[in-house]
Amino acid sequence: MIEARHLTKRFGPATAVDDVSFHVGRGEVVGFLGPNGAGKSTTMRMVTGFLPPTGGEALVAGYDVAEETLAARAAIGYLPENNPLYEDLRVGEYLEFRAALKGVPRRRRAARVAAVVEMAEVGDVRGRLIGACSKGYRQRIGLADALLSDPPVLLLDEPTVGLDPGQVVHTRALIKSLAADHTVVLSTHILPEVEAICSRALILHRGRLLYDGPVAELRRSLAGGGAVILTLAATAAEGRACLETAPGVAAVEELPPDGGGSRFRVVAAPGADVREALFWACAGARLPILEMAAQSVSLEEAFLSLTTQEELARDAEREVAP
Amino acid sequence: MRGALAVAKKELLSYFFAPMAYIVMAAFLLMNGFLFAVILQALSQPGASSASPMGVFFGGTLFFWIFLIVTVPAITMRLGAEERKSGTLETLLTAPVSDAAVVAGKYLGALALYAACWLPTLIYVWVLTRFAEVDAGPVAGGYLGVLLVGMLFTSVGLFTSLASRNQLVAATLAFALLLSLLTVSILTFLVTDPFWKGVLDYVDLWAMLQNFSKGIVDTRAMAYLLSGTALFLALSHQALQAGRFSR
Repeated sequence: MIEARHLTKRFGPATAVDDVSFHVGRGEVVGFLGPNGAGKSTTMRMVTGFLPPTGGEALVAGYDVAEETLAARAAIGYLPENNPLYEDLRVGEYLEFRAALKGVPRRRRAARVAAVVEMAEVGDVRGRLIGACSKGYRQRIGLADALLSDPPVLLLDEPTVGLDPGQVVHTRALIKSLAADHTVVLSTHILPEVEAICSRALILHRGRLLYDGPVAELRRSLAGGGAVILTLAATAAEGRACLETAPGVAAVEELPPDGGGSRFRVVAAPGADVREALFWACAGARLPILEMAAQSVSLEEAFLSLTTQEELARDAEREVAP
Repeated sequence: MRGALAVAKKELLSYFFAPMAYIVMAAFLLMNGFLFAVILQALSQPGASSASPMGVFFGGTLFFWIFLIVTVPAITMRLGAEERKSGTLETLLTAPVSDAAVVAGKYLGALALYAACWLPTLIYVWVLTRFAEVDAGPVAGGYLGVLLVGMLFTSVGLFTSLASRNQLVAATLAFALLLSLLTVSILTFLVTDPFWKGVLDYVDLWAMLQNFSKGIVDTRAMAYLLSGTALFLALSHQALQAGRFSR
């Protein structure tokens, strides 16, 4: 549904987005991750057609955003960063205006407005001036607007910013429920949000795409299979000798004992899942496993390692090039 | 042009929800009502000229023009500057409507408020008919002239507003541009060279409106006012597109 090809955006000498390509299929929910200033919003703005790219092109629902801009825009429900709204209109009037603007037929307008008001739970403030609404309501008004014409593609730029925890949970549930028949791209710098909602992650850092793949694999591929904590009914020396022979093991650390047996932290080689190998190694050596727990790397750690790796690579490049 | 009417309606709603429309209309009526009273008083002095009051009212005094070049920027200043400052330009320009429809909608909304400012002045005409014979032709011509001049002025104001982020800057720019359009009328008194005088006659707003209010509908004047409007609407369109390039 969304196809970005070599999107590049320069503002004067600064490159905000640098040769970013990705594809989002129908019905996918993709998280757009990156620290502030990574180029998430700029990329979104190019996909919506608001910012003309310096290079590259974007297609939405098969329409070239630059050439067939109105058709492409009609396929997108967009919640911009900071969610700008007309302060001096009432909520209901604003949504009716947006429905008219989006070409919702006159006789269906009232029904559509009522539907999105219910979905986004803004019924309580329908008659209130937008300027007098709280940040949480404003965010949901923006979400309601994005859903008005029931577009197949939703681009949500930081949809949960400024919401209280209860509203965050509700908004995430709403996005999840929309995922069934919409293609959703949401940008955020909150990692658990991506874990909670998205099946796929795109990571942007300093305008470059660093990662494009399933969220579940993000952790594994970045920091290896993580580590495994083992407790064996054996002496420390026996245990270490046995564990080090298992295939896929990168390192074995001894941990201070906690009750009976000796404890180890086994670090796997990148990409490997060593749990099964550990079982067979211990079984072969007749060392009973009392406890085994996978220690997964949090997305934050993965993200940090990814971005620092990239920085290290850059520094290295700089040192090599005189 | 789909969406233009929705934008125009929204602009009008915004005018009347914010106090802006009421302030502009009240000030406009106060100033013009005062002007009309002064004109009536002057014309009813013994030995005064036999000019028709509405003829003098429409563009016959400097006050009329001053009120006009203050009122129009006050109406138009928020059209684009506000959208750009608050960021709503992004939601507007990512909706499936063309830039031309956005320009047309905003223009129509502002022009409707301008027309609404003039509507109550029909009372002046009604008052006159109670005391004297009023010739309908010149009055209609005067209102046509006021509408045409307003179309040009509103397009100028729309352009400066779409080109700036700050309402005050937009209003000041519009005021300066309108003032220079008007200054041409004063130049006609200073220039003696017949060629240049001929050129300036084509763009003399003051004389144009005076002709309209005598019931003379001059196609040259109409051509000037309408082509000027078209020019500034095209510039507005350019300014809106340029808005995409700046953050």
